[in-house]
Amino acid sequence: MGLAEWFVERLALDRFRAKYLGKPFPVHTTFFLGEIALFCFALLVVTGLYLALFYEPSAENVNVGGSVMPAAFASTVLIDSHPFGLLMRRMHHWAAHLMIAAIVLHLLRVFFTAAYRKPRELNWVLGLVLLAGTIMASFAGYLLPYDQFSVTATAIGYGIARSVPWIGGAVADVLFAGRFPSPSTVPRFFAYHVVYAPLILSALIGLHLLIVLKQKHTEPSSSAGHSASADASGGRLISGIPFWPQQSALMAVLFLLVFAAAAALSAFLPVHPSGYYGPPGPATPEVKPDWYLLWVYGALRLIPGDLSFRLFGATIGSEAIGAMLVPGAIALAILLVPWLDRAPSSLYFAEHPLASPARLAMGLAGLTLFAALSVAGFSDELKLSVPVLWVVTLLSPLVVWWATYSLASRRRRASGTLGLGRN
Amino acid sequence: MDRRGFANLSLKTGIVAAIAAAIPGIATLRGRAKTAGSKSPEPGDRLVFALGQNAGQPVTEGSFTQNEAVLAFPEGKSDNHDNLVLVCRLNPALLAAPTSLDGVVRGVVAYSAICTHLGCTVRFSEEPMDMAPFPHIHCPCHAALFDPHRGAVVLGGPAPRPLPQLPVRLNERGEVVADGNFAAPVGVVT
Ligand code: HEM
Ligand code: FES
Repeated sequence: MGLAEWFVERLALDRFRAKYLGKPFPVHTTFFLGEIALFCFALLVVTGLYLALFYEPSAENVNVGGSVMPAAFASTVLIDSHPFGLLMRRMHHWAAHLMIAAIVLHLLRVFFTAAYRKPRELNWVLGLVLLAGTIMASFAGYLLPYDQFSVTATAIGYGIARSVPWIGGAVADVLFAGRFPSPSTVPRFFAYHVVYAPLILSALIGLHLLIVLKQKHTEPSSSAGHSASADASGGRLISGIPFWPQQSALMAVLFLLVFAAAAALSAFLPVHPSGYYGPPGPATPEVKPDWYLLWVYGALRLIPGDLSFRLFGATIGSEAIGAMLVPGAIALAILLVPWLDRAPSSLYFAEHPLASPARLAMGLAGLTLFAALSVAGFSDELKLSVPVLWVVTLLSPLVVWWATYSLASRRRRASGTLGLGRN
Repeated sequence: MDRRGFANLSLKTGIVAAIAAAIPGIATLRGRAKTAGSKSPEPGDRLVFALGQNAGQPVTEGSFTQNEAVLAFPEGKSDNHDNLVLVCRLNPALLAAPTSLDGVVRGVVAYSAICTHLGCTVRFSEEPMDMAPFPHIHCPCHAALFDPHRGAVVLGGPAPRPLPQLPVRLNERGEVVADGNFAAPVGVVT
């Protein structure tokens, strides 16, 4: 009797095998995006466990070879000097970028194929919470090296929290453990980043996957035969490859590819060189936020200082409008997508992106707005004035909406109904 | 009262008591109490360089020429980041209201260096730029622009309020000293 059989008998694994190992998985490249995000998370945990062995969560000054610097900064520079230490730090940072990129692309896939429709609204909302949570985890991690850039970025975050109407001061002080820069902020952010974020994110990721397991994935539909069989069986019949062994093999390959991508990026492209930025000082360097927050940064540059209004005794100023009202309204619109799309839905099938010209046009217009606001973040470099950027920001999404809508409608009339094709 | 009623009542009382007991705990989330470092500027505080080789040395009238500026802290109060000031030396003839001229001495004027938009440290223009008058104060974060001749009023960009002025005078040794506290709240206000 082999070792495997020994475990199978004791844990009654054949029941588990029969129930789960045959689960069908859809085969379409865009269905891998969520998995890529998951693998990035795994990479973050592994590299983070290494960093946590050496990192010192303290802003107190220490003396390193005659120069005085915060302990957190000193420990980060120390990690950089270890064999593979710099690689670990860069992989941690690159994996965070890749994870957010994968989540955003995953969200776009779900949007353009209308996979958010009943009964999958739950996972749409949960996915957005995961995106927001990952961005917040990154924001907390960004402070940890405690260099000049980290401190500037966190100070802006603190300013944004303070600009919340009515209760901003208290909210900011509770979140940042005092008026930033305060010595209590680093240990607090370390707790957020290393304990709360990974625990909460892994619980939510688990829930997200359980819901997919329960509701079953939407299926790319092209062959009429498949559609008919699934519809006839009331959704109980799904096509795809079984979890074991085909899907597991694909997943292993994909994980290695994600690992290789993060390692290659880290080997060739420096990211967040703390030693080069230096310890924090009173002056502010030229900083731009990471790409996924550039749009908020652009919005902050576009809202003029004299734009403000009063509401129930509080002044809603330019900073609250740029950092909260505008992004909040956009986030709310995205959150409500499943309830705004009133078209009748197929329970089992992913729609072709061209099937609904209105949705396609909205999606592309949204991406254009994201791009235009990000470009506004470069107003100085591009020597574009604020009024010009306002025109670009307002007009470009409209133009894209109109162009997409008319082209897609024409194409739909020409070709009849469409389903998401297989590759 | 029957047993069910009693159980319900105890449950509700317990919930209310637990919430009430948690409030002081939540208040501790606001972090360490402010220490000696959080004092504001007071009349007579010397302003000392915040950066560079001279860090900690007093700023004097001779530390800079016209249309130059330095970052400074009131001496011994650099722990409170809100005390950071931009001390500018300008052409006295061009200084005008709303600058408080009582707080200016021989063209030396000090403004809070904390941007009123989201709290970055502002900069003094070193040389003329295309889209802005010279000299000006600008913020590297979201491009707010302030006019140092006229009370650091907002010339452009997202800042909602002028940079508060810190009145200054010269002491008998020619060092720049604070002559009071900031004229308005510093940094981001809710
Ligand atoms: C949940 C997803 C996570 C994201 C998005 C994330 C993101 C980040 C980012 C952006 C930094 C700044 C790094 C740098 O500038 O080099 C950072 C630093 C750090 N992270 Fe994470 N992280 C995650 C998970 C974890 C986990 C699970 C751990 C540990 C168990 C961890 C431990 C650390 C430590 C100790 C640092 C500071 C050390 C340094 O930067 O050199 N992280 N993280
Ligand atoms: S913080 Fe100065 S312009 Fe935004």
